[in-house]
Amino acid sequence: MLNTHFKKALSAAVLSTAAAGSAQAATEISWWHAMGGQLGETVNTISKDFNASQSSCVIKPTYKGSYEEAMTAGIAAFRARQSPNIIQIFDAGAATIINAPGAAYPVADLLRENGQTFDSQDYIAGVRNFYADAEGKMIGMPFNASTPVLYYNKALLEKAGVKPPKTWEEFEAIAPKLKDAGVIALSQSHTPWIFSENFHSRHNLQLSDANNGFSGVATEIKYNNPEMIRHFDKMKSWKDNGWYGYYGSNWGDNRTPFEKKEVAMWLGSSGSFGGLKTTAKFDFGTTYLPYWNSITQGKEYNTFIGGAALFAFSGKDKAQNTCTADFFAYMSAPKTQVFWHKETGYVPITKAAYEAAQAEGYYNREPSAEVGIQQLSLPGGEWTKGYRLGFYVQIRDVMKREYDKLFNGDIDAAQAFSTIEAEGDKLLGKFAKTLGKQNVAKN
Amino acid sequence: MRTKVSFLDHGILWAGVIFLLMPLWIAFASSTHTAEYIANEGVQFWFGDNFINTYSGLLNGTSSIFLEKGDNNVTGTGAWIMLKNSLILGFGFAIGKIIFSMLAAYAIVYFRFPLANLFFWIIFASLLLPLEVRIIPSYEIVASMGLVNTYTGLILPLIASATATFFFRQFYLSVPEELIEAARLDNAGPVRFFLDILLPLSKTMIAAIFIIMFVVGWNQYLWPILMTTDSSFNTLLLGIKNIVNVIDEGKIPAYNRVFALSVLAVTPPVLIVIFFQRWFIKGLVETEK
Amino acid sequence: MKKQQFQHSALPYFLIAPQLLIILIFFVWPALQSVQLSLYLEDPWGLSSTFVGLDNYTDALSSDYYHQSALFTLIFSSAVTFFSLALALLLAVKADKVIHAQTSYKILLIWPYAVAPAVAGLIGIFLFDSHVGPLYHLLNQLWAFDHKLDPTDATLALILMSVWKQISINFVYFLAGLQSIPRAVKEAAAIDCQSSFKRFWSIDFPLLAPTTFFLLVINITYAFFETFGIIDTLTRGAPGGETTSLVYKVYRDGFIGADLGGSSAQSVILMVFVMALTVVQFRFIERKIHY
Repeated sequence: MLNTHFKKALSAAVLSTAAAGSAQAATEISWWHAMGGQLGETVNTISKDFNASQSSCVIKPTYKGSYEEAMTAGIAAFRARQSPNIIQIFDAGAATIINAPGAAYPVADLLRENGQTFDSQDYIAGVRNFYADAEGKMIGMPFNASTPVLYYNKALLEKAGVKPPKTWEEFEAIAPKLKDAGVIALSQSHTPWIFSENFHSRHNLQLSDANNGFSGVATEIKYNNPEMIRHFDKMKSWKDNGWYGYYGSNWGDNRTPFEKKEVAMWLGSSGSFGGLKTTAKFDFGTTYLPYWNSITQGKEYNTFIGGAALFAFSGKDKAQNTCTADFFAYMSAPKTQVFWHKETGYVPITKAAYEAAQAEGYYNREPSAEVGIQQLSLPGGEWTKGYRLGFYVQIRDVMKREYDKLFNGDIDAAQAFSTIEAEGDKLLGKFAKTLGKQNVAKN
Repeated sequence: MRTKVSFLDHGILWAGVIFLLMPLWIAFASSTHTAEYIANEGVQFWFGDNFINTYSGLLNGTSSIFLEKGDNNVTGTGAWIMLKNSLILGFGFAIGKIIFSMLAAYAIVYFRFPLANLFFWIIFASLLLPLEVRIIPSYEIVASMGLVNTYTGLILPLIASATATFFFRQFYLSVPEELIEAARLDNAGPVRFFLDILLPLSKTMIAAIFIIMFVVGWNQYLWPILMTTDSSFNTLLLGIKNIVNVIDEGKIPAYNRVFALSVLAVTPPVLIVIFFQRWFIKGLVETEK
Repeated sequence: MKKQQFQHSALPYFLIAPQLLIILIFFVWPALQSVQLSLYLEDPWGLSSTFVGLDNYTDALSSDYYHQSALFTLIFSSAVTFFSLALALLLAVKADKVIHAQTSYKILLIWPYAVAPAVAGLIGIFLFDSHVGPLYHLLNQLWAFDHKLDPTDATLALILMSVWKQISINFVYFLAGLQSIPRAVKEAAAIDCQSSFKRFWSIDFPLLAPTTFFLLVINITYAFFETFGIIDTLTRGAPGGETTSLVYKVYRDGFIGADLGGSSAQSVILMVFVMALTVVQFRFIERKIHY
């Protein structure tokens, strides 16, 4: 009796000193991210779970503002040699970090050199390419991967007696009926992402020279093409007909009318699913991003991912890199991925995670949640892997500007795209110059 | 002799008062309702009964500025922490600035020494370029000194501007020459002259500059974003910035707590300006001369 | 400078050192770096760079967008300056007339001085929100107001919030200016001229000229730089980039777009502008001192 009590006490004491000892030795790593609001809370939950799951590493997530602000904070910190271990960088900023050899520790190397296994074939196809270098080596670890999908208000569509459109031709047929039913047919958030970048992927159109920027530093943007001009001319006429609502360049301003049932369909991100579940007080469905049958001749191509990836900064010590690798392994594990996928609507990044979500019957309960990943898994074409363009944050700014003017009726689509081409090429040329003499010491 | 004050004069003044007061009134009144009520009914002009709930949740960080999900385990940085940091920033900035500027202005006005002119122009050159447009080089320097995530790193670079030095210089120049002559006759040295004569004379000036600088420090917006990576250094203005980001991304904020955070972010500097308005106005107007 | 000064060998250096050091480290050094950066195209991470001479300057000055920003800045600054001065002057003239309630009016009119531009912008977001905002609904009744789509409406919203914040400081100076007009002048004027409107423009306003000029400089600086927080919260330069002020453009290109060279060149251009403004201000203030 006494003996067992003694043993218990002893083992408890040993355990607690061991825990204290390891807590002191735990390596702290930092993670700067751009996930505000509910997403930020989910990030905190993942970090807490990781910290609780082992005792040698402690991860500290910090919200650094919008995607752009987080990237700039990372840039400034790197220049001052104060960089965090992990930074979240969004799709438009990918070229900035991937084209700068020496800034990031490629995730493929990081995992292999720090006690984890890595096989890029574990990742789903649409995710694998986007953050990889010219040779296909993954530089960034995809984190919140999303893709544009169409959300529709079931009741409103039923009232008008229509089905969600597969193609833009079908959209033109149903839009007048929705208008007769007293709603605007469509709104859309983030025109550069959905109707420029993914428009090219969905129709397998080339987006820039140098193989969309993957095989070298691109200097020519190819947005000024007849398909784009025609699409935007159409959109402008849809807007004038009252079929399409353009509420400015902000994401939220275009989404709110859908939540308020003023708009029947909304093009957003598959990652909006979790948020819509709480804010939209009606039954909604999800389907693929429509395409022009007239352009693809009946063929359908995948979209590519948006969202952001995690990059490990170079120049950290071995213990920290091991922790970063541990965290990446934890984060891409099916259990974490399924949690993240279900909580937020971002797609699972590995095949194993996708299968795990299927196996537990998640998509039987929530068929809408599967649309994003199915669309990413559609057969690809020559130009559907993604893009890698420098100063792309500013190029998007140019697009936002011109699209505002276009929908406001100040300019037509041809003018908009000739400006986008001229300013885009100028920015690409400038970016190429910044890379001019690699590895020349600063100052 | 004064002209008669007409009804119209008061009418115009009241129109001005209402125009200025209305936005903050709406923010305060709305903050006392629930988020759902505002989302459905629009912003409010009169008070609701959710005052204590809104503010206590916000201050303690038990409810975030975003709409919560069903399971309520959401916590944010408590507004108490942000309030504390904003106060440290406001006070630290104002006090530091006053001490450094007073001494520098004293040297510039009351001493003849080699290089004085050069120093003067170097200091005044800092009026030329606001922090917003030199922010990345500034950050690099602060970071290389290891001052990221410290109050020193937050405050010192902001002090690098000559506004207060300029105010003190103008003030010293208006101090009568006779005083320094009298001090000399008394055989008082520069330290005694400063402590016994100039400092007491500057009281109003110091109070005025303190108020102005406290407001400037409190309202810092861009610099703290870059300088702090630890949420325990968050200021109220940083909280405001985060709200705007999240609204742009399409998340619905908890309107009542957003308005409450705005109210918290303006109350301390507004109270200081109101309570010390006499000094504040006197100081402002005198520096203009 | 004073005619009478202390002679001391070490003390002045000791007094000026802290301020000077801070300025050298945290202002002069980063400013010089900005100038240096403006001559290069540098990869954002600082890993490589190319010397491009004045290309960044010619790029900025020849870009249509830069011209558009400059034009917006001009229109916006003029409007903010004009309206905040005019309204403040009106209120100051009225407040100068009242005797008993003057302090109360002062308190009720000066407090917005303490409100951060970003908070003004955030409150503006909700006042102009198309779903919950009363100002949106009011203006939308009058014409098809939509500050998310129409640049003129967006500019109007920015002007309104900027003027709102700026009236109080102008009011303080104008009131002080009016009160420093000698009694005798006012009394003589009252006998000569019966119309108080005429009297104001022929007697009071010319006497306020120095104050007005001083405020002009203050207000231009405010409209150029301090409205940054209002723009960044309320419109973010949209729609169509047509509410992007020059300062906001420096921030977007450099801080958001990671184009350090281009952004630095624009800040140097701004620096030259502010320098000119400061010289004007200085000459004016110095002249007043030496009366």
